Amino acid sequence: MKPSLLALGLALAAGSAAADTTLRVHYAIPTIWADTQDALAQAFMDAHPDITVTLDGPAEGYADGVQRLLRESVAGTAPDVAWVGLNLWRVLEARGLAQPLDEFLPEDPESVGYTGALLSLGAFDGHQYALGTSASTLVAYVNPDLVERAGGSMEDFPTDYDGIIELAAKIDALDGTTEGVWVSPHDWRFQSFLGAHGGRPLNVDETDVTFDSDAGVAAASIYGRFASEGGMSTMGENDARQAFPAGTLGIMFESSSLMTRFAEGAGDRFDMVVKPMPIVAADEDVYLPTGGSGIVMLTDDAEKQQAAWEYIAFVTSPEAQKIIVETTGYAPTNALVVEDESYLGDFYAENPNARVAHEQVARYAGPWYAYPGAEGVAVTDVIAADLLNVVEGADPRETVEELADTTRGMLGFN
Amino acid sequence: MTLRESLSSLLLTGPAALALVLFIFLPVTVVFVLAFTDYQIGASGAGWVGLDNFAQLFGSRLGRNAIFNTLTYVAIVIPASVGLGLLVALGLHGLAGSLPRITNALKAVYFLPVAATLVAMAVSWQMLLHPSLGLVNTWASALGWPAPLWLSDRDLVLYTLAVIGIWQTVGYNMVLFLAGLAAIQPSLYDAAEVDGATGGWSRFWLVTWPMLGPTTLFVLVVTAANAFRVFETVATLTKGGPAFASDTIVYALYREGFVYFKAGYASAITVVFFLALLLLTALQVWVIERRVHYR
Repeated sequence: MKPSLLALGLALAAGSAAADTTLRVHYAIPTIWADTQDALAQAFMDAHPDITVTLDGPAEGYADGVQRLLRESVAGTAPDVAWVGLNLWRVLEARGLAQPLDEFLPEDPESVGYTGALLSLGAFDGHQYALGTSASTLVAYVNPDLVERAGGSMEDFPTDYDGIIELAAKIDALDGTTEGVWVSPHDWRFQSFLGAHGGRPLNVDETDVTFDSDAGVAAASIYGRFASEGGMSTMGENDARQAFPAGTLGIMFESSSLMTRFAEGAGDRFDMVVKPMPIVAADEDVYLPTGGSGIVMLTDDAEKQQAAWEYIAFVTSPEAQKIIVETTGYAPTNALVVEDESYLGDFYAENPNARVAHEQVARYAGPWYAYPGAEGVAVTDVIAADLLNVVEGADPRETVEELADTTRGMLGFN
Repeated sequence: MTLRESLSSLLLTGPAALALVLFIFLPVTVVFVLAFTDYQIGASGAGWVGLDNFAQLFGSRLGRNAIFNTLTYVAIVIPASVGLGLLVALGLHGLAGSLPRITNALKAVYFLPVAATLVAMAVSWQMLLHPSLGLVNTWASALGWPAPLWLSDRDLVLYTLAVIGIWQTVGYNMVLFLAGLAAIQPSLYDAAEVDGATGGWSRFWLVTWPMLGPTTLFVLVVTAANAFRVFETVATLTKGGPAFASDTIVYALYREGFVYFKAGYASAITVVFFLALLLLTALQVWVIERRVHYR
């Protein structure tokens, strides 16, 4: 009797030791994500009782988060899995911290909802390093009251940039405090206009800058025309994000992730409407750079990697994506959840604006190009500064061509 | 001193000295070494680049722009904040005898910006200065004045930040000057009067101003150090923009190090900034100290 009990005890101990994998998960922006992360971790552990998920104290923002991950990796205390900004996972990849996910991906990724467009958000140089977990693209937020006052209507809201500029000029002329249109002079917004015209910021090998194409000039010209014809002011981002909910700004091109915040800010003043980006080029050439978050695997321990993959697969599955969409307002990064009405049908019925944004992601999602090398982030600030020059009247073609040369020099492409 | 005494002295100073070496001197040394490398945060190695980082700071358009912006900001904030601090202190000192309650209330009002959290105050400033919704421009429009883009006009933004910087430091300087004024012996004024200095200006110029010398030196050093370090308002209100128009040295070092991850270059900026501030302070103390102490 005694020996068998001992054997049973040993077996139990061994069993629980093997089963008790603990995954440390890092995430950022607790103001948006805290409740969602708790819900996801709980749902995952319910489905996988052998894996325990512990959430690190969240970082304030994505940039802070990546800094922390870099510091922790130097100290050897990095977590196993991390949620990072879709524009920042390349920082981890460049330093050899993000583990490739290729061997974990299913044979047919499409069958579980990972479309090519969605996989492109986390792929580089033929390898998959991150999977998107939440997405946002540039959309147009519209104040219908101002549109009506200016003589327009939401039924035949313009679907091209000419029409939008014309309408913006009319709204701008209404009175001293109204403004027609605003978009931030910023790398991501510029890439969105560029992609809508079928352009790309870099070539496929990432060995040359390609935004000095006709598409790039057209994208920069939108900034110039918004200012010269549509009356766009150079007010800052904080100012514009107050002006739109306050009802003094007619049309604002901004990230779809701000939808909930703007709708709450507008309150009873007006019923905000979300319109898709006007697309100029043929559909197959278009991409819209996608913001939001992705998930990367940092652990290089084979056993932990398997558990980490279970977690990654779970948070990108339709069930988890439904939780993310309903609690954060971001667009999902699993095609099944948008296609299959059983997941979010009710949600979309109540939030038609969300459907506009999410369909745009499903159709046009593309990578938010990160410029390679040590000057990669610095380049984006130089682009922003030159876009402001265009807003203030500089010639778009000359500016874009000079900017491309400057950028080539900074990135070492010459 | 006995052995016992020296041992206990060592015991008393030891821990603090050790902490100072570990947490201040050691990191500073690391920064000095990093300044000569191209180290990036999180990278596994770094290359020795000699003086390249320093050449980039003084040679590049962005580096020079940050230095120039900082000097402009400092050139406005130091004289204005010290001058206004002195004026307010003189006024309140004069009022103290006749209207003590009002004086105390005013002191509190002037000191409030110093005590308040600058980041929270910056958010209030942003709302006040909003181009179409802010109180400042609403009033300006009502009076028929132009409504400028205070924080997003590249020709204006640095001056707007300078005004906020002055607003924030005047109260602190006022308190220091008030303490200096209170320490002046009334007998000096009596003596000056006997010698014929009866007017307000001559009393100020012959007694008050010279006696405030040590206070003024201290105020100058503190204000200069604070003005050169301007960061919070830039980070919360403009992020150095629009188009780097309000990029200052400390913001640039944050930007390069923590946004661009270029730790080597950011360390070089830190080294230059540290040496410049050290030199400035030493110079101020050395030049002015011989003229302000009457012992």
